[in-house]
Amino acid sequence: MSIFAYIGRRLLLILPQIVGIVLVSFMLVKTIPGDPAVLMLGPTANPESLAALRKEMGLNESIPMQFWIYLKNLSKGDLGTSWQTTRPVLEDLLTRFPATLELVSFGLLTAILIGLPLGLVSAFRPRSWLARVADFYSLATGSLPDFWLALVLIYVFYTLLGVAPAPLGRLDMAILPPTQITGFYTLDSLFAGDWEAFKASVSHLVLPVLALGLINAGPIFKMTQSTVERMLQSDFSRYEMLCGMPHGLVLRHALRNSLPSILTIISVLYGFLIGGAVLIEIVFSWGGAGQYAVQGVLNSDLYPVLGFVLFSAIFSLFVYLIVDLIYFAIDPRLSH
Amino acid sequence: MSSRTESKANGLSPHGAKSYVDLIWRVAKARPRFVVGYVIVIAVIGAGLFAPFIAPYSPISADPSRVLQPPSLSFPLGTDAVGMDIFSRTLYAPRVDLTIAIAATLISATIGSLLGALVGYYGGGQGIRSWLGAAVMRVADVVQAFPVFVLAIALVASLGQSLGTVIAAIAFVNIPIYLRLMRSQVLSIRGARFVEAAQVGGLSDWSIIIRHVIPNAMSSVLAQLSVNIGWAVLLTAGLSFVGAGVRAPTPEWGSMIAMGFQDLVTGYWWPSLCPGLALSITVFGFALVGASVEVLADPVKRRALVSELAPRASRGPVVKSELSA
Repeated sequence: MSIFAYIGRRLLLILPQIVGIVLVSFMLVKTIPGDPAVLMLGPTANPESLAALRKEMGLNESIPMQFWIYLKNLSKGDLGTSWQTTRPVLEDLLTRFPATLELVSFGLLTAILIGLPLGLVSAFRPRSWLARVADFYSLATGSLPDFWLALVLIYVFYTLLGVAPAPLGRLDMAILPPTQITGFYTLDSLFAGDWEAFKASVSHLVLPVLALGLINAGPIFKMTQSTVERMLQSDFSRYEMLCGMPHGLVLRHALRNSLPSILTIISVLYGFLIGGAVLIEIVFSWGGAGQYAVQGVLNSDLYPVLGFVLFSAIFSLFVYLIVDLIYFAIDPRLSH
Repeated sequence: MSSRTESKANGLSPHGAKSYVDLIWRVAKARPRFVVGYVIVIAVIGAGLFAPFIAPYSPISADPSRVLQPPSLSFPLGTDAVGMDIFSRTLYAPRVDLTIAIAATLISATIGSLLGALVGYYGGGQGIRSWLGAAVMRVADVVQAFPVFVLAIALVASLGQSLGTVIAAIAFVNIPIYLRLMRSQVLSIRGARFVEAAQVGGLSDWSIIIRHVIPNAMSSVLAQLSVNIGWAVLLTAGLSFVGAGVRAPTPEWGSMIAMGFQDLVTGYWWPSLCPGLALSITVFGFALVGASVEVLADPVKRRALVSELAPRASRGPVVKSELSA
């Protein structure tokens, strides 16, 4: 029962945090110069229609009033309209956010698959050649711009070898996207039994996911290596070693005890990547939420930016909540 | 700066300049990666400073008769889509990139650590100053909840695109890092005996913070500085890549990569890959320097390094260099 009380308390805290974030982003995007009315109607519009549109968009109201109107619409599920796509922001985001989420989730999964084993090996055998390579690798990936690595991958696998599809979106031109259930093209095409779309979506995912995974494996490696190493030096691991327990088992116990810190870095990366994968999205013309927001900022299209910030804030806060719940599951000491 | 070198000398050896040089030499031999870092950083700064003397061409003059030339003797890294020499532009780029990165990092470190010291010193108590501190921390939470990149682009867009606003935007998004770092350090120092002694001695809070608290909490901030300069370079390049940072034709790595993007897909690799490589090496260098500062500015780690060196030195020259730092 206490676990539900805890979740309830956390959810209550989330609301003011989100209002704070929306308030700050509202103030920020309102200071971006450029008149949305002029941009929407073009430079040849006559003053009367401009004035009418400004009135309709509520641009003549004071900023606090505009914020109040935005909040009121928000409570009705209306996130405003983007003048670039001329569609409601909520509709746009419901197709674009899953695109980003699919990219980021698979990217993070790849990063875990690279970083975790490397970290374990370097913690267990710190003098081995593999540990040295891994150490250099984590330093090097921290220095590479992810969008540049993506370009290198495109050059090698698309331009030179011709094995990867052109970096122009999530599917080939000729293939229709599967009906949206989760918004993940890979899953949706499987649900629909559309083998062609599945193959196309996977092949388009490989390069951007690889770019994200290779870069973000660095911090996961570093965290795994340092915490597992500390665990292996602690009394319980040394006792197990002295008793002659198999190395694999000792390592597994050490990993079990390091999981909370590894989970922390993974959750932080997850929240960060929702906005941090923007450059990868742009390189691959992914059409994700981050790209949508950046286009919005650059073209004084405010509502997409606000909508994106809102979505990513809610997403990060929920990831943190879920991770906190997993802490309870993996570390029974916490729940007492 | 001078006080840092002094304290380093005190921590390492009490003898004169000769043994100091000798010690630097031994540290360099034991940690070759530190040397690599300093060499890269000095080389990049040198390239920026002396670019007019090294660069064979002007970094912003386009020559339509020499478009997309592959690397050759006359164009060491080739030319880009409008006929500008990539080698010259890559050499000039640190002027913009490092100016932005270093200025932004110093500004955010100064503001962030001063705020962090105040919040840490007054935090947890009663009264208006402690409330203000709590408010500052909540604001930092909100700033950090933003997607960094979108926040930076929005800041640049709202302030108007120029060198100064790019610096301001990058400085702003980095302030919470120093705020948290300094606050956590100060929280642990606040209860120390020497702070109590200073309070009993009648020093004002302000002079206790400036003269006793901050100098003792600086080492982690110093280690963060160099690493953060690397991040700032990456962020600058990212901003320019989407067109919200430095505008072409100003030589800057990110905008060069962006300019060469379309050519890369059709097989002309040099306009994009060369500036990206220069950028990565630079960030790598600053990361290594950051790692060395982390060891040298921390009395415990420094002593560990020195004690590791001492027995070896008596046994003669170090044969096999130690890689693990």
